[in-house]
Amino acid sequence: MPTLTEAPPPPSPPAPEKKPPLRRGRWTPYWLLLPGVLWLIVFFAAPMIYQASTSVQTGSLEEGYKVTWHFATYWDALSEYWPQFLRSVAYAASATVLCLLLGYPLAYLIAFRAGRWRNLIMILVIAPFFTSFLIRTLAWKTILADGGPVVDVLNTLHVLDATGWLGWTSGDRVLATPLAVVCGLTYNFLPFMILPLYTSLERIDGRLHEAAGDLYAKPSTVFRKVTFPLSMPGVVSGTLLTFIPATGDYVNASLLGSADTGMIGNVIQSQFLRVLDYPTAAALSFILMAAILAMVTLYIRRSGTEDLV
Amino acid sequence: MTTKATTSRPDAADRGGDVRLTGIGKTYGSFTAVHPLDLTVEQGSFFALLGASGCGKTTTLRMIAGLEEPSSGTVHLGDQDVTALPPYKRPVNTVFQSYALFPHLDVHENVAFGLRRRGIKSVKKQVAEMLDLVQLGEQARKKPHQLSGGQQQRVAVARALINHPKVLLLDEPLGALDLKLRRRMQLELKRIQTEVGITFVHVTHDQEEAMTMADRVAVMNAGRVEQLGTPADLYENPRTTFVANFLGTSNLIEAEVDTRGGDDLVVRAAGGKLALPGARCSAPAKAGGKVLVGIRPEKISLTHADDAGSVPEGRNRVTGRIRSSSFIGVSTQYVVDCPACPEFEVYAQNIDRDPRLAPGADVVLHWDPAHTFGLDADQSVLAGTTGEAGIAEGGAA
Repeated sequence: MPTLTEAPPPPSPPAPEKKPPLRRGRWTPYWLLLPGVLWLIVFFAAPMIYQASTSVQTGSLEEGYKVTWHFATYWDALSEYWPQFLRSVAYAASATVLCLLLGYPLAYLIAFRAGRWRNLIMILVIAPFFTSFLIRTLAWKTILADGGPVVDVLNTLHVLDATGWLGWTSGDRVLATPLAVVCGLTYNFLPFMILPLYTSLERIDGRLHEAAGDLYAKPSTVFRKVTFPLSMPGVVSGTLLTFIPATGDYVNASLLGSADTGMIGNVIQSQFLRVLDYPTAAALSFILMAAILAMVTLYIRRSGTEDLV
Repeated sequence: MTTKATTSRPDAADRGGDVRLTGIGKTYGSFTAVHPLDLTVEQGSFFALLGASGCGKTTTLRMIAGLEEPSSGTVHLGDQDVTALPPYKRPVNTVFQSYALFPHLDVHENVAFGLRRRGIKSVKKQVAEMLDLVQLGEQARKKPHQLSGGQQQRVAVARALINHPKVLLLDEPLGALDLKLRRRMQLELKRIQTEVGITFVHVTHDQEEAMTMADRVAVMNAGRVEQLGTPADLYENPRTTFVANFLGTSNLIEAEVDTRGGDDLVVRAAGGKLALPGARCSAPAKAGGKVLVGIRPEKISLTHADDAGSVPEGRNRVTGRIRSSSFIGVSTQYVVDCPACPEFEVYAQNIDRDPRLAPGADVVLHWDPAHTFGLDADQSVLAGTTGEAGIAEGGAA
C-alpha cells in the first residue's frame, strides 16, 4: 500500500522496556575499549612522557641524567641540525610528489581500466611488502651502482649532466646523492600512495563520468572537473601516508646516501645509538613531530578535505 | 528561458527535431539486449519506453544518449546522424536513474555544469531561472546530499534542461521516490515538458506513469517493441497478450472462431457465444481457428443470476460464481470463477451496490461486444502479468 505521508515516518518510539537496563550493559563499551586504551598507554603515552622528560634532562652517561627543565636543548638541537630538517622535508616532499605522479595513473588504471587484471595488478603493487624493507633498499644500491646499467644509460642520455647541474647527482654517480635517496623513498612509499588513491577512485560512481560526458565535458574535462576533485580524499591520505614516514625515514639516506644527504632520522638515530646524547635525540624527535603535525594540519586545512563527501 | 523554448515548438510540418532510430540494436556477446528496431519520436512530444526490467528500454535510451554504442543501426536527431558522436557532442541530455549529481559541487554548480562546459561565462541568471522553474531557488548553495530525494530529482532535471537539449532522456527518474512524491513529480515533469516544449523520452517500468505522462508509449518486451501508440490506444486495443496484461488488467478467454458475419466475429467459449468487432481482432480469424478474447475488468457489468432476464439482448454474457470481492472505495473488485476463464476480474463502480453480490453468489457477467478485443492464441495468456510465470513467459515470448 502506498504511504500517505511524504516524509519518512518518524522513528517509532522505543518499545516500552519491561526491565531497567542491566548495569553491566552501560559499562560494556568501556570494557571493549580497554585493550585499545591499554595498548595506547603502554606503547604511546608512556614512551611519549618518557621521551618528553628525557628531552629536558641534563647530565652525562656516567653521572646519570636528571630532569632540570633544560629547554635550551631544543634550541641547540635546532640550530645545529636545521639543515638536516630542511633536507628531510625537501626529500620527503620530492618523494611524495613523485609518488603522486607515478601512483595516480596506476591507481586510475587499476580502478577504471584494468578489468580482469585488477587483482593481479593489486597483488603486484603489494608484492614488495613480502620482502624486508632493508633488502629492497639494498637492492636499489645494486640498481644504482656506479658503472651499472642504469647509470650508464643515464650517462649516455646526458641526464646526469642535467641532474648534476641541479645538484641532485654528482659527477658520474647516482649512488650517494640526493637523487638516490629520493628514488629510494619514492620506491619504498609508493604503495602507501597507490592504495588510498585506488580506494577513493574506485568509490567514484561510474555514472558521474557518464553524467559529465552527457553534460558536454570532454574526457579530459571529466577528469579535471569530476574525477580528480572526487579523488581528493585519496590524494590527501596518500600524500600524508607517504610524506609523514618519509620525513622521519633514515634507512634510505643511510643506505643510498652519503654524509651530505643525511636526514633528520639519521641524526636522531646516531644521537640515540652512537653519540648516546639522549636529551638531544629526544628533543629532535619532538621537534620533528611538532613540525610534521604543523605541516599536516596546514595541509589538511588548505585542501579542505572535510568538505568532501 | 520559457519564451525561447516555447517559440522553438515546431509546426506540424516541421519535423526537423525528430529522434529517428533506424534498425538500431544492441548485443552483448551472444545476448541480444535490443533487437534491431525502428522508432521515431516526434519533436516536442512526450514519449515513453515502457517495459519490465531487462526488456532493453534503458539500453535503447543509452544508445540515444551515446552512452552505449549500438551494434547495428543509426540514430538521427533531426537530419543529423549522431550514431558515431560521443555523448559530449550530442545535443541531448539525460536525467539518470540515481540522478548522478556531482557530490562535490553545490546545486548551483551542478546545474551550471553543462553551460560552463560549453564556455558560457555568465551562468548566474540562467541557473537562477532554471532553479525557479523546478522550485529550488532557495537551495542553490546546498550540496546534493543535503537535499531530499525529490529535490535531488529536480536538480537532475534542471541540470539537464538548462542546456536546451533537442531531446531530454529520462531513465526511470522517479524510481527512487515514494508513491505520493512520484505522483507529484509526474505532474511536475509533465508541466515542465509542456512549458519548455522539449522532446522527452522517458523510460519507465510503471505503466501508470507511462500512461499519465506520455503522448505516445512504446511497450518493450525482451528487446523488442511489442506495440506503439497513444496510451488510450494501447489500453483499448492491445495487440499482444503482453500489452494486454502489462497495461492494466485483462481477462483473456480462450475461444474458437465460430462465424464471421459482417463486421462482427462470433466465437465459442465454454459453451457460450461471444461477439466482438472484427476490426478489433489482431489475430487471423478463420472459422474453427483459435483466438484469445479479451475484455477489461471495468467494462463488465455484474448481475445476480436471479436477475439474468434483465440483461439486455445483444450483450456478451458469461456465467460464474463470485470467489472473492474487495471493496476499495470508488469501486469493488470481484474475482469470479467462470468455466470460460478461471479468474475473471470485474471492477464494479460503487453506484448502487447489490448486497447479494457476495462471495458464493451466482452471477452473470455481461458487456458490450464493442469493448471486446481479440488476440492471437499462439501466445502465452500469462505474458506480461506480474506473477513469476508471467515474467518468465514474457521473457520467452
